[in-house]
Amino acid sequence: MRTAAELKLGEKAIIKDIDNTHPSSHRILEIGFTPGQEIVLLTKSIFNDPIGLSIRGTIFAIRKNEASCIII
Amino acid sequence: MTSTLTENKIPLITLVGQPNSGKTTLFNYLSGKNYKTVNYPGSTVEYSISKILGKFSINANILDSPGIISLIPSSADEKISVDSLFSHPKFGKPEIVIVTVDSSQLSRHLYLVKQLIDANFNVIVVLTMLDILRKKNLDISEIKLSEILGCKVIKIDSRSGKGIKDLLLSIKNSISETNINEELFPEMNIHNQKEKLLESYRHIEEIEKEVLFYKEPENGNNHFDINEVNKKLIVLNSIRLPNKPDNLTLKIDKFTLHKFWGIIIFFLVMSVTFTSIFWLASPLMNLINDMFSLLSSGSEVLFGDTLFGNLISNGLLNGLGSVLVFLPQILILFLILGLLEDSGYLARGAMLADKPLSMIGLNGKSFVPMLSGFACAIPAIMATRTISNKRERFLTIFIIPLMSCSARIPVYVLLVAFLIPQDKPWIGGIALSAIYIFSIFSSLIIASVVNKFQEKIIKESDNSSFILELPAYRKPKLSDVLNNTFKNATQYIKKAGPVIIYLSVFLWILTYFPNTNPQVNESGKSEKEISELKNSERIMTSYASSLGKIIEPVMKPLGLDWRVGVSLIATFAAREVFVSSLALIFKITDEGDNIQTSILKAMKDAQIENTGEKLFTTATTTGLIIFFVFAMQCLSTVAISRKETGSWRIPVLQILVFSSIAYVLSFLTVSGLRFFGIN
Repeated sequence: MRTAAELKLGEKAIIKDIDNTHPSSHRILEIGFTPGQEIVLLTKSIFNDPIGLSIRGTIFAIRKNEASCIII
Repeated sequence: MTSTLTENKIPLITLVGQPNSGKTTLFNYLSGKNYKTVNYPGSTVEYSISKILGKFSINANILDSPGIISLIPSSADEKISVDSLFSHPKFGKPEIVIVTVDSSQLSRHLYLVKQLIDANFNVIVVLTMLDILRKKNLDISEIKLSEILGCKVIKIDSRSGKGIKDLLLSIKNSISETNINEELFPEMNIHNQKEKLLESYRHIEEIEKEVLFYKEPENGNNHFDINEVNKKLIVLNSIRLPNKPDNLTLKIDKFTLHKFWGIIIFFLVMSVTFTSIFWLASPLMNLINDMFSLLSSGSEVLFGDTLFGNLISNGLLNGLGSVLVFLPQILILFLILGLLEDSGYLARGAMLADKPLSMIGLNGKSFVPMLSGFACAIPAIMATRTISNKRERFLTIFIIPLMSCSARIPVYVLLVAFLIPQDKPWIGGIALSAIYIFSIFSSLIIASVVNKFQEKIIKESDNSSFILELPAYRKPKLSDVLNNTFKNATQYIKKAGPVIIYLSVFLWILTYFPNTNPQVNESGKSEKEISELKNSERIMTSYASSLGKIIEPVMKPLGLDWRVGVSLIATFAAREVFVSSLALIFKITDEGDNIQTSILKAMKDAQIENTGEKLFTTATTTGLIIFFVFAMQCLSTVAISRKETGSWRIPVLQILVFSSIAYVLSFLTVSGLRFFGIN
């Protein structure tokens, strides 16, 4: 099982599911990370964390820890 | 919940929207910027309220609520915003809710719209950012969207004001149609479930496909070509909705978030920000200082050396001056921060800072408040409200007083000038920078230590989270930025002003009484010199000096005496008061442009009574600098810290912890230097 935290720079993926045991999962769903959507890892910050994911035409900076609840 | 429209209650329109959806621009347009900023009772959540501008001839209040992502709150502040939307403690239930929706991010923003409609609000949807949508060769049918959602939908171009007329018309119609007895359903629990949420999004995606359509770029070519039409159809069928971020933004991010260039740009932006705060503000600050000393001497001429004259010039005007002197820095800081935020860079800055800051228990979102702390802790502490995690927010508030605020500069300038040889002023610049770097590192160390003991100190635990939209880069909208700068500046004056003025008057009482009319040797002295000598004599025999003598045993280990103690007491109004009270205590009679030279001379000559030892030595002066780096001397900061954390625990701990650190480190510095033979 891969998660969005393991994406390579520039890699595309389709969201399979969101792990709702993670405390941030609800907010992540609400901002549009829903199953079936395409995400792209566009940028990484220094130290590779947080990462910048594109979703529905917007870029979100998300900590890797939180991105790990996005299952791809 | 129901409410009735009585004759004396005018309708309430609440503006709701996600961050970056053009909500504030619309609010400014409708309110004409004549708004009041008020706190929700008992909280730090703020809203702006205004009557709709007279020229629009709608008699209604408009309320700008804080940006929310959904009706299901994820932090305490969000919960207050959401609860107040359903029933505002002062204004009740809104008759109309206007939701701003960024058309280029339709699906994400429609989610909130759907929640609002489901909660049974009387919703008007305002579509913004149509220019961005058109860049992607797409357009949106507001008629279709309105049909599907069952509410009014209006397109607005906030830059040109196009569409505002339609909006005003629908507001008017809605007000007359409103059935205010309609019930709201605040129980949004249904949306709390993942399945329900996913269903909402599925529905939204279908809506999106129906209302968005391909629009050919307007190149004036109306020539019909069967191939072109086919192409369009293909595009429509395989509609890949606008899910690609702005191209230019992606290109710029390649630099601003680059591992090497990103850091260079980050530090460059920070240096430019700081340099502008100090360099642009300093002539203005001098102007304000000059103006107040002019007013002060004016009042002395007017009222003479009387109790009342002294109260005005040394108490009130001094206090007012201390408040206003920082206004230029605060204005410039918020102007630059506003420009950076509106352009989109600040979100990247927070992203870059998140990892290092999270290692010591802070958040990327702590970065901007900490930055503001270098101008003044008061607006900085207020700026922590954007941090949703309470633990991180309190920790940020905790360490902000350690950021070297501008009130410390005059003190450092004086003390550094004492330490360095007069013919080498450049060493002073290096020394000042060293003090800044030292204070940054110390604050980070203290933050990590506090973080280790957070269960005892911060006492809040929350899910640590950093989810931040990186908005597309754009040219900042100057009017919005200026508006926001103005708002922050008035907040500073309102919140810090009264505290500083009361304290100044209180300290003036301490330094003026009980010997209000001291006797001095007047022979052969000018009137000005006599009055200055009287001032000095008065303070030497004042309550403040008695207090100073009481704390003298505490000052002794630092190699200082009661006179410095009195000046340190005076700094509780504002740190920079240290310089002027030293001048008073050391009977500096030479007021004017070379006051610093006179103080420096007096400092070099000053001896500790009884022992005859020199008072200001390299060791004791360095110790004093260290003291100023850490000590929590500013009572306005204490007051704002109390207000923002909702209890006395954090501010009291700040006073205890920072003052002990200041004292102990200062003592260690003095003894250490003396041990190595540096006196």
